[in-house]
Amino acid sequence: MPAEPTPALLDADVTVARRSFDVKAVVSLAAGERLALFGTSGAGKTTLVEAIAGTTPITSGEVRLDRKIVNAPVSSWRARGRGQGRARGRPHARDVPPEAGPRHPLAVPFRFRGVAAVRQPTTLFPHLSIVENVGYGLRHPSAYGDGSVEDLLDDVGLGGLGQALPQALSGGQRQRAALARALARPFKALLLDEPFSAVDVTSRSALRQLAIDAARERGAVSVLVTHDLAEAQAFGDRIGVMDTGRILQIGDAGDIARAPANRRVAELFGYTAFAEHDEGNLRAFHPDRFVVGTHPERGIVLDGVVTAVRALGTRFACEVQGSDTSGLVLRGLFQVNVDCPPAVGSHWEVTALQPPLVARVAVAGDEEG
Amino acid sequence: MNRAIGRVPTAAAVSASVLVWVVLLGPLAVLLTQVSPHQLRTTLDQPGALTPLWTSLEASAIALACMVVLGTPLAYLLARHKLPAPRLVEAGIVIPLLMPPLVIGLLLIFLIGQAGPVGRVVSGLDPNVFGVNTFFALVVAEFYEAAPYYILSAAAALSTVDARLEQDAQLLGHRQLTAFRKITLPLAAPGLASGLAIAWARAMGAFGAVLIVAYNPAGLPIKIDTSFIENGLSGALPFALLLIVAALPVPLIGLLWSARARGGRPELAVATLAEPAS
Repeated sequence: MPAEPTPALLDADVTVARRSFDVKAVVSLAAGERLALFGTSGAGKTTLVEAIAGTTPITSGEVRLDRKIVNAPVSSWRARGRGQGRARGRPHARDVPPEAGPRHPLAVPFRFRGVAAVRQPTTLFPHLSIVENVGYGLRHPSAYGDGSVEDLLDDVGLGGLGQALPQALSGGQRQRAALARALARPFKALLLDEPFSAVDVTSRSALRQLAIDAARERGAVSVLVTHDLAEAQAFGDRIGVMDTGRILQIGDAGDIARAPANRRVAELFGYTAFAEHDEGNLRAFHPDRFVVGTHPERGIVLDGVVTAVRALGTRFACEVQGSDTSGLVLRGLFQVNVDCPPAVGSHWEVTALQPPLVARVAVAGDEEG
Repeated sequence: MNRAIGRVPTAAAVSASVLVWVVLLGPLAVLLTQVSPHQLRTTLDQPGALTPLWTSLEASAIALACMVVLGTPLAYLLARHKLPAPRLVEAGIVIPLLMPPLVIGLLLIFLIGQAGPVGRVVSGLDPNVFGVNTFFALVVAEFYEAAPYYILSAAAALSTVDARLEQDAQLLGHRQLTAFRKITLPLAAPGLASGLAIAWARAMGAFGAVLIVAYNPAGLPIKIDTSFIENGLSGALPFALLLIVAALPVPLIGLLWSARARGGRPELAVATLAEPAS
């Protein structure tokens, strides 16, 4: 018997007009699900997550969280804003699309949305201490759940800094405080926009786990925005790869890595070389997916000349120029004997492990489905 | 060598500053030397001599309260770009600031006098309360002369508070008004205070428009004028001193606190006036 599809807790289908390009995406998440939005800076990730929170106006579409409307287009003159800082209130009754019918519920006010957000740059209240910031909005500002705000601060590594003002803290500490503030209250959606970008690498995994556990306990959806692939893979059940305002591919991180849908996704996942295959497709090569030697049963054997060698830790990064007419240049990280680095100019045979075929032109994932 | 060269402009700048300071404050020093305690006592001991002071204080306090109640929401909407045609609204606020106060006074006759349709309705309610030459007229004239100063600096102060902070306060469970009170207001307070300080000084000293529509009941500026005409300089100076003493402490405290709250940069206290909300 086929399993009942889990009803989505978050349903977003939004278009946000921006100066250079429109951000247009469809995101649907079931309770407890975690999505990592991954892409380069300026890809529209922050705009999308702000649209999901309902803190930025959308030009068309709708965002529903737990069936309640969180964002809908504002059709009045206010929507023709000039970007940041422009009218961002909840849509007025008259602005809700007429096709929704007269009984269409209004977008819920911010305070009833159940959205917890860590925004970029962090938005701590500058005139309140860290304890007051984290306890802001709690019924009893010094206590949350079974513990106290001080315990929560200990969890994020800010023990003893509760009385400090935000400007006395480093960027990483402010991000920790912002995370603590987001986790202190109940929520249905946890939206994290580059929440650990200034946090030292060693503490990131602990903070990430804290966020994951908090979202799991509450059965909430969570969305993480990051330009760090490892971070995206560590956080998300699924990864949405964003570029120029579109989600190009959404799915399991391993699946995308093994079979990127198109050239742009492949590039974002670290594929560095592309060879002609047929009219619509390219063969993509990833530096980590090579072995030195001839192994035709494991992939495609390439013959080339080493053109550059650079030490990288105990290994060597080599550039191999394909000797066939395609002129394919492979930049790979090859595990070779430390005593004997490959000489520039030497001939090499390498095997590319099952290089995937990718579409030449990027097609937005949401438009495919 | 560099230090020697650096000293020349520094010395020039310091001398220029001292000169400007002396020129600006010179008349005030003269006033203090010209008014003898005896003269002050005899003038102010006359029956009813302090009535203009109370009139001015009451009218300015009411005008200021109206500015805060009516002007703050307007300043907020301007700062958050929530008004249609914001440039037009801003121009409308600046116009009373640029118009000669005497002209404002003449035009106010249309608003509260018998000359215009609005004035006929307003003063028709009760000409002894809402007409020309009433306490109400004094408040209105002071409001017109002072409100633009407050509204423009309030808009500038409020626009410096990141709108995302208000959104976050609301996402954390507060109503819009609570978020404004707990987040925006404290953060904009120094700017609001300096705006209020300047508006208070303008309202207390309002003369041009007041002369036309509210000659009676006489506030301090009108009293100075009549004393000057009737008794010359010696009759007017004690009231001038009284006006300065009554009008200056509030703005001075406001400006100093505002500068302190901004981290000891006093130039910023009045700078808000120069940067209207954009």
